[in-house]
This record gives sequence, structure tokens and C-alpha cells, in this order.
Amino acid sequence: MKRYDLIVVGAGPAGLSAAVEAAKYGLKVVVFDENANPGGQLFKQVHKFFGSKEHKAKIRGFRIGSQLLEEANNLGVEVVLNATVAGLFQDKEITVRIKDSIQHYKGDAILVATGAAENMVPFKGWTLPGVIGAGAAQTMMNLHGVVPGQKILMLGSGNVGLVVSYQLLQAGCEVVALVDAAPKIGGYGVHAAKLARTGVPFYLSHTIIKAEGTDCVTGVTIAEVDKTWKTIPGTAKSLAVDTICLAVGLSPMAQLLKMAGCIMEDNPKKGGQVPVCNAYGETSLRGVFVAGDVSGVEEASSAMIEGRIAGIAAAEYLGYIDKAVLTEVAEALESALSSLRQGMFAVENRGKNIEKTDEGYVVSQHLLKKGYFQDAEVEKYPGVTRQPGVHAVIECSQNIPCNPCQDACPRHCIKIGDKITSLPVVDETANCSGCGMCVAACSGQAIFLVNEGYEAGYASITIPYEFLPLPGEGDRGWALDRGGSKVCAAEVVKVQTAPVFDHTSLLTIKVPVAMAMKARFFKEDNCHA
Amino acid sequence: MNSRIKEHPILGKIEKGRRVTFSHDGNIIEGFEGEPISAALKAAGVMVHRHTQKYGAPRGIFCAIGRCTDCVMVVDGKPNIRTCITPLAEGMIVETQYGVSAKSTNKAEGMA
Repeated sequence: MKRYDLIVVGAGPAGLSAAVEAAKYGLKVVVFDENANPGGQLFKQVHKFFGSKEHKAKIRGFRIGSQLLEEANNLGVEVVLNATVAGLFQDKEITVRIKDSIQHYKGDAILVATGAAENMVPFKGWTLPGVIGAGAAQTMMNLHGVVPGQKILMLGSGNVGLVVSYQLLQAGCEVVALVDAAPKIGGYGVHAAKLARTGVPFYLSHTIIKAEGTDCVTGVTIAEVDKTWKTIPGTAKSLAVDTICLAVGLSPMAQLLKMAGCIMEDNPKKGGQVPVCNAYGETSLRGVFVAGDVSGVEEASSAMIEGRIAGIAAAEYLGYIDKAVLTEVAEALESALSSLRQGMFAVENRGKNIEKTDEGYVVSQHLLKKGYFQDAEVEKYPGVTRQPGVHAVIECSQNIPCNPCQDACPRHCIKIGDKITSLPVVDETANCSGCGMCVAACSGQAIFLVNEGYEAGYASITIPYEFLPLPGEGDRGWALDRGGSKVCAAEVVKVQTAPVFDHTSLLTIKVPVAMAMKARFFKEDNCHA
Repeated sequence: MNSRIKEHPILGKIEKGRRVTFSHDGNIIEGFEGEPISAALKAAGVMVHRHTQKYGAPRGIFCAIGRCTDCVMVVDGKPNIRTCITPLAEGMIVETQYGVSAKSTNKAEGMA
């Protein structure tokens, strides 16, 4: 039986962060993961993360994964893949299935970072090939380069449903409908808006009646639901799709902890049954720690911080550092963690009906139902101003923990302040140079550059663009409004790509000046292409 | 229908192993070495991986990460192989699974 100072179960963002931190203090660490590749879900995340610099905001998930792995390798952390931890016992021993044998390891401390599993929702035909988890769609397209289908229905409007829908569009699929039984979009408004402007229709207060097809999915029937979640007769509608993606939440995978005898609690706000643990992630069993989704479903940014805290706590538990060091380092990390946990999407606000932002701005109901603002609504937010010359228009209306735009602007036109969840404010006295750094830095793709004085009668609009083929200068097509409807003819006058934009291209289109506050997306005219 | 992404706006060209051939229910299909068997099948348009024991209901890829076992098939004569996490190799013999075995075996043994 091999012995380690710290055994980590799960090589995702939490597990790797914990391993790195513990190894820094000299612990001998091994990480087991059942997958063939390390990184958990990070390598499937092709979008830019939210948060602030210290949370690795505006960096794409898969790059964060690579950074973590490199750090772990440099510190001599042993990562064992294709190794399924099948048992965890009170004396901190584990059994691991590697190939066709079961092996036995002993840790002086154990950290369980097994993450979460997708929830499912049954309906008639839900077992047909073509009904898949949203995670499966992400795995197939972003890891294996194969799209799950051509015409997709996404069930679930939380951030997973919204982000994966966008990734499906990037992979070349058509998202036929985004459906949620809830009356309001659950994820960030900015994620919804980037789908809506491409023309993806949102069906809130709708559910799936059945998947159609005999051998595989050939269609789907959806219907509207009332306030008691019952389907309303006469509202059924059939859509031609070949794939139904389910993004209906996650549940912690805490089986190992339960098996070891940790005290568990049922906590719906954490996503289900989770171990009871202290601020450092230590469970009721001394020396057994948890971090990441297994201790309560959140997202990768907070999982990484929780991992680091638990890694340091394990070092303290084993006597590698003093309690004073733990307290000091953990305090800084905890403040970073609590900044991520503020705003309207904070755990304690789940299920609440929030009508106003912290600043007192009314939350757009149209955004929450259709995925985009009505024209008149958008101008009331502090990021949206009308100015002569080029300037940033920031269509950010919810208190979410994110501030890269503030750091991106070299002229300091954008102010969020110390509170990371505050709405960005465009300072009308600062002088925008039109560099576009803020457009590329916004993980929510909610910043546009508008110049109403571009040329007589015409305005220019610079939009973030992450699709292929990338239009070229001089290309003509249609400007789409926030809801994805064609509003006018448009010409591409500038296309900017730069390493610093990290694969977000800036497309500048020319539209009649009356469309300056309407046009938000560009669609190539296929007759010309 | 081509399911393979030629170029991705963020990831660029998706890197793959060498091109290999394998058989699916007797048909010769191409795929890339090391990718999951299920990815190669998906790219070839195969949706049904197995039929259930009791009702003969079709099943295919569901979780794609080796948890749900809906995509299991008979691979090189061995049943219950999770095709979404088993790397493809040259010359593999992949068969649709009926219950817990390939159909041909069922017939030979006179099973229902």
C-alpha cells in the first residue's frame, strides 16, 4: 500500500488547485481522476470566464486548465488518470480501480473534489438516441471536434444551457429553441443576449411534452405551462430537431464522503446532499477535506479558490505550516471568494424575484423572458450613453461578479469601483479612443463601440464576433437587432483580430445612423458570400 | 451530414490522431486513432448503439463521459464497453449490443 501526505480525488479546477497549493508547502501529493484527461470540465470551456483578475477573468476556461496542470507538474504533483476511486474509508484509505485491478492507497489527508453530475428530466421519448446532456454536447464538440447534431433544442436557461447553446452555434449548429419551464431566464442576461441577437428564440414557461422519433430524435413537442407547471391545452407545438440537450442543473457527487461516514446535509441551495464542512472545507472527519461542486454546486472560479483554501488547510493539518499562516492566507482567499458570491446570482438569492439592481435600476423583464432588451429600456443603464464620436455602449444590467472591462480601458472610461458586482458606468468626461479593448475583454460580449458621427447619415458599430467564417472588410449583409431580426442593410468596414483579443474578433459595421442603438449583430448576405 | 468540425473559431483546427478504419456491424468506417469510438460513430452518422434487453428500445450517446452507460456496445467481442470513453484503435470490431450481447450471438444461441 502506497502512502501520500495528501490524496486528491478529482483533477478538476478544485482538485488541481488544492494539489498545487499543498505541494507548494512541501506535501507529497497524488491526484486520481477517472477520466483520460485531467482538468475536469475546464478543457470543455471555450468561453471567457467572469470575475476579476485574481479569479482569472476574461481567460478562457481551457487555458486556465492548462495553466493549472503546468503548475501541478512543475511542483511534482503526481496525476494518475483513468483511475476511478471506488472507496473512501474513515482511516483515510482509498481503493482505486486502475485498468482491471483494484489498488489500495493511504493518505494522511484526503481531499475529495469529485465535482457534480448533471441532472436529468424525464419526458416521453427521453431515452431516444439524440437526447443528451448539455455536458455531452460540450464534450463532443469541444474535446472531440464532433457536433452532437445539426438542429438542437436546449432545455434549461441557466448559465450551462446558455453557454452551451452559444458553443453549439460556434461549432456550426443551429439552436432551434431554448426552452425553460421557469417564467424567467435563470442564467446571466448577457449570456442570453448573445444568443438572442443571433436569432435564437426563447420559450420561457414552456416544457417538453415528448421527443419524437422511433430510432432517434426527429422532432420535439413543446407546450406552455401555467404557474403551477401544468401544460396549457392547445399550446403544443412541434419543432423539427435532431438533438435535445438537457441543461437542468447539477447535483454534487458526494458518494465517497457519505461512504466514509462524513456528516451530510440535504441543502437545495447547494444542489443536493453535501458534506457538512467548515470554512476551510474540512468535513466532520478530521483530515478529510472537500472543495468545488461536491461541497455545493457553484462554478469553476469559486471551485479553484475553495481548492486552494483546502490545500493550505491540509498543509496546516499535517503540520507543514502554522495555524497563523493558514489564517492569513485563507483570509485573503476567502475575501476573493466572497466577492464572487455577491450580487443577484448569489446562492442566497436563488429562487428570489429580484426586480431592481443594487443601484436601483429596474431589471428588464423583457430580457428575462426573451433574452434581450426592448430598445427603450437599454438607455437607462449607466453603461449606455449617447456621446459625439466613438464611445463604449455597455449593455450590462445585472449585478454579476465581473469587472475586466474596468481594467481593459486604457483611458479609464469605464468604472465599476471596488464592488465587483456593481454595474459598469461609462464616464462621459473620459475620452474613448475606440481601441476596442473593452469589447474583447467583456466575457458577456455586452460591450459595443458606437460612433454616430461615422460619416454623414451613417453610424459605425463595433461588435464582438466569435464565429466562422469571419466576414471581411467590404462584405455586405444584414444588421440584426438585439432580438435577431434584420433591421437594415450593413457593410463591414473594419475587422480586427489580435492576440490580445484572444479569438474575439471586432467587427465594425456601417449602418444608417437611426440604427445606431438598434443594430447589434451582423449576418452575411448569403447571396454575396 | 458531416458532424466533424473542420475549424473552430476559438480552438482552431481540432487535433486528431492518425486515420484508422474499423468495422461497425460489418461495415468498414473511418475514424481517428485515440478518439472515443462514439465520436467516430457519430461522425459516421450512427445514432443507435444498443437496444435494451426487455423492450428492445434504442439507446445512444447520453452523457459522453462514461457515467451513464447508455452508449455501451460489443467491442472486439466484449460486451458493455462504454464507447464514449474507449479510444478507437485500428481494426476494432464494433457491434450494436442487444441486451448484453451482439445480435448474431443471440441468434446462434437461440436466445430471445
